[in-house]
Amino acid sequence: MTEESDWIREARAGDQNAFGRLVVAYQTPVYNLAYRMLGNKAEAEDAAQEAFLRAYTHLRSYDPNRPFRSWLLSIASHYCIDRIRRRRITWLPLEDEFAEPYHMTSKSPNPETVATQREQEEQVQGLLGELSPTDRAAITLRYWYDCSYEEIAEMLNLTVSAVKSRLHRARHTLAESLEGESTYAMQTG
Amino acid sequence: MQCKQASEMMSTRLDGRLDEQDSALLDAHLAQCQACQNQWQKLQAIDRLLSSTSMVQSPVRVRVQVMTRLERRDQARRAIIGGTMLTLGTVALSLLLIAPVLFGLLNATGIAPVLIYGGPQALSHLLAVGENLGSTFVGLIEQLVIPLAILALCGLVSTLTLNGLWIGAMRRLRASR
Repeated sequence: MTEESDWIREARAGDQNAFGRLVVAYQTPVYNLAYRMLGNKAEAEDAAQEAFLRAYTHLRSYDPNRPFRSWLLSIASHYCIDRIRRRRITWLPLEDEFAEPYHMTSKSPNPETVATQREQEEQVQGLLGELSPTDRAAITLRYWYDCSYEEIAEMLNLTVSAVKSRLHRARHTLAESLEGESTYAMQTG
Repeated sequence: MQCKQASEMMSTRLDGRLDEQDSALLDAHLAQCQACQNQWQKLQAIDRLLSSTSMVQSPVRVRVQVMTRLERRDQARRAIIGGTMLTLGTVALSLLLIAPVLFGLLNATGIAPVLIYGGPQALSHLLAVGENLGSTFVGLIEQLVIPLAILALCGLVSTLTLNGLWIGAMRRLRASR
């Protein structure tokens, strides 16, 4: 953490190399958030870059008493929410656009495992696509970043009770969709 | 307990935020309400699915792309600053060159006293001055266009050279770190 504080301090003083180290440290969390929010690799990559550029621009407004990760994820979340709202067409998932899960790149799993994980990935992204942008952000921050209600509230500029009710609503929507998928699979399969 | 309340408690339990007392109440409700029990199973299924889905790995090129975009932005900023300075310098120099001629003209035509004191002759004086200014301006443009163009070109070349040297120095500095 001390190393990270040094990088932040140096980056705030205009050292781009120090900021580059922060990018390396946080590129996977930021990219994963963008991917969960936007649903495809190309957009997620672009959004992750944009989030880092915005972070660099606003680095002087960062409060060092706040966790850097929360601050960065907050920027990325807001950017992705705005980006989804600006879309004119609804995103439709494409099979070849799904990203590789983190652990798949670190090990050498057998083809069956790969296929199962791809299927799960596709299913999760399809389900997340059912949610409103803010609900999607709340669920993503809760499940992939283990954020508390308070942290999510701060990141998304919501009240704690709003976060609670959004998570509740989102889970119910997802549960219904998942059940719908299972029923459909049973009928067709 | 109402089913709606139980439903909210289910989500809170999945977040690990339901206290023991409420947890006991929820369990008691689930034991007697089939609809809520089904709902609880569905919520647990989605919770398991999301919890077991890993983060996706970022492509390594994200860092390179971010750094490239930052550098490009810096270069654009430097170019804008350089261009603005060049334009301001050229305008200031042009004004310095033109100013003595204009002041000389004002004195020669006696416009200054007329403007200060006014009088019936002011209009004819002003018209005469206007004509003089017009013809002088055309003459000035004809005479100054080549020096100004050369000046602007020199300024542009020197700004671009300095910019190039600066970028090169920065790159060497970065590479040496």
